[in-house]
Amino acid sequence: MADDIVDVLIVGAGASGAAVAWSLAETRMRIVCLEQGGWMNPAEYPSNGRDWEMRQYSEYQLSPNLRNRAADYPINDDDSPIAILNFNAVGGSTILYSAHFPRFHPSDFRVASLDGVADDWPIDYWTLEPFFAENDRNIGVSGLAGDPAIPFHEPPLPPVPMGRMGEAMGRGFNKLGWHWWPSDTAIVTRDYNGRGRCLNLGPCNAGCAQGAKSSADVTYWPMAERAGVELRTNCRVREITVAGRDMATGVTYFDADGVERHQRAEVVIVACNGVGTPRLLLNSTSARFPDGLANSSGLVGKNLMLHPFGHVRGIFPEPLASHFGPQGSCILSQEFYETDLSRGFVRGYDLQVTRGAPPVATARAGVANGTIPWGQDHHAAFERTYDRDINIGVLCEDLPEEHNRVTLDPELTDSHGIPAPKVSYTLSENSRRMLEHGVARASEAMVAGGATSVHPSPSPIRYCGWHLLGTARMGDDPGQSVVNSWGRSHDVRNLFIVDGSVFVTSGGVNPTTTIQAVALYIADAMKKNLANLFD
Amino acid sequence: MSAEVIRSDRPMTAAQRATFQVVVDMIVPASADARKPSAAEVGVLDFIAERQPGELPAIARDMDRLDAAARERHGAAFAEIDAAARQGVVEAMRADDGTFLQNLALHTVTCYYQDDRVLTAIGLEPRAPFPKGYEVVAGDPDLLEPVRRRGSIARKA
Repeated sequence: MADDIVDVLIVGAGASGAAVAWSLAETRMRIVCLEQGGWMNPAEYPSNGRDWEMRQYSEYQLSPNLRNRAADYPINDDDSPIAILNFNAVGGSTILYSAHFPRFHPSDFRVASLDGVADDWPIDYWTLEPFFAENDRNIGVSGLAGDPAIPFHEPPLPPVPMGRMGEAMGRGFNKLGWHWWPSDTAIVTRDYNGRGRCLNLGPCNAGCAQGAKSSADVTYWPMAERAGVELRTNCRVREITVAGRDMATGVTYFDADGVERHQRAEVVIVACNGVGTPRLLLNSTSARFPDGLANSSGLVGKNLMLHPFGHVRGIFPEPLASHFGPQGSCILSQEFYETDLSRGFVRGYDLQVTRGAPPVATARAGVANGTIPWGQDHHAAFERTYDRDINIGVLCEDLPEEHNRVTLDPELTDSHGIPAPKVSYTLSENSRRMLEHGVARASEAMVAGGATSVHPSPSPIRYCGWHLLGTARMGDDPGQSVVNSWGRSHDVRNLFIVDGSVFVTSGGVNPTTTIQAVALYIADAMKKNLANLFD
Repeated sequence: MSAEVIRSDRPMTAAQRATFQVVVDMIVPASADARKPSAAEVGVLDFIAERQPGELPAIARDMDRLDAAARERHGAAFAEIDAAARQGVVEAMRADDGTFLQNLALHTVTCYYQDDRVLTAIGLEPRAPFPKGYEVVAGDPDLLEPVRRRGSIARKA
């Protein structure tokens, strides 16, 4: 068992690794997935307890450097204004994601042709469309058909409730004549495939106790395991091994007991996200690949895209019950999604309307920024704010730049002694202008919606590096990309990459639905090419 | 062992505790209508001792500083001077150092807004979100009519 050979070895059990595992399972190949974290127990998520607000901001911190769970690895992000966020467990970062699930637009795949910047993808929206739909059905996505900003599609479940806060912002957008629509959301709003419907618990970003949020541990993994995929948890991969003919032979990893093992494989699939994947490739050096595996282009780790994020909070005169409902998902506006050069920047952004702050967060923010004072006035100031606030996130498309990159830190290592990633990132002038424009428009929308005070945060928000993209990009030219148009390494023909690393551009929306559609598309291409997969 | 020594089960001296209770009541006093208790009534010290015990020594030192300032200005312990005098001492020390007592204020409201009486007073059932959850109104779909009337804004690609 220690050194037997499997057909397919997947590294990482998050959004993309889970989708690929499920898709490939029908081939009846022997598939093993190694995941550095363990299974999460929904009965332990914060919303089970009275102290849920506190636990959300401690043991469920979004930054691995602050959270420091045993499964986490450190990330040196000192050289970046945006901190890197992730989660390491079965389900990966979908454990903590907000499940805001808008698709990329067709234009996102043709950025160079349309706007003369970045590059076009080697695939287009319509290639991915069947996989978007398949993913929506597999995991349970809610939404409202007919959004005029994107091609028609029909989410299988009705949208999450807007609430009175969504109505207020909808009226505001209408007053301005701007686009808005209920968000597609990876949360089941009705009982679906054995999972109970959303109960509006609130803190989706700290795990869903109900299991209504469509994280990969409660969607793809039960299906994949039933279909025969073997998932080994608490197994951290150190490197991908190679032999003659430039083929991967498997991986070296530390098992749950810390014992170093080697697992041979006919095919290796990497699904570790836009930071973890280049880290693994750069750690996989050999005489043949001294600069890291699959890196003949020199692009592994480069072109990191992070979605710079702005934030505006509005306080409204009437109670809106604003902190109830799925925290990160309500409605969105894509009025400024596409390029209009008169705005002073190229490409665009998404305005993501999110719920208000619960009691502790309301009080802490108010005391910290002085809007809720000490003393007898405390109570009136709290009541003027609590459940009357609405937030808008400004999620900006980030363009690929080679100097924004993931390398290996020369000193920092994880608990197994494996070199940790170092992120070097600079906010571009284009992103700066886009953020400024977006924060101003979000403030305008707040006023139109009836806010009596509007509070923009300094941009970019530091703890917003949720979306890790572009560090092993796909393309047809081996000199300009790491993998081909269906995720296969140009250099190592039995090595595939299926996570957000392969993105050529970042779009201006949360990427998980597109990450999973790309993963399903790559798995489909592998199945279609099984007879000559390595040709 | 002296009763004045800081121990894990008695994290502050009696004098420090007296100052502490007065300070947290300055941060969040009882509401004028008496529906909300004061912070001293909701057990802030026990809360910090349980959740953030490592911060108690620094908080205790801050209580000593307040006491010393009160004695210097008013010749009595902080807990024994009148409300206006306390206010003056705190404002002077915060004017010198804007972060003075800020951490304690954050712990105070964190504890306060988890208390049953406070949650009830602001209209919440004092319970965990799960399993009961909450009802949220779906929202009026007719509000989308102007967006629909405008038609597609998708960019041709």
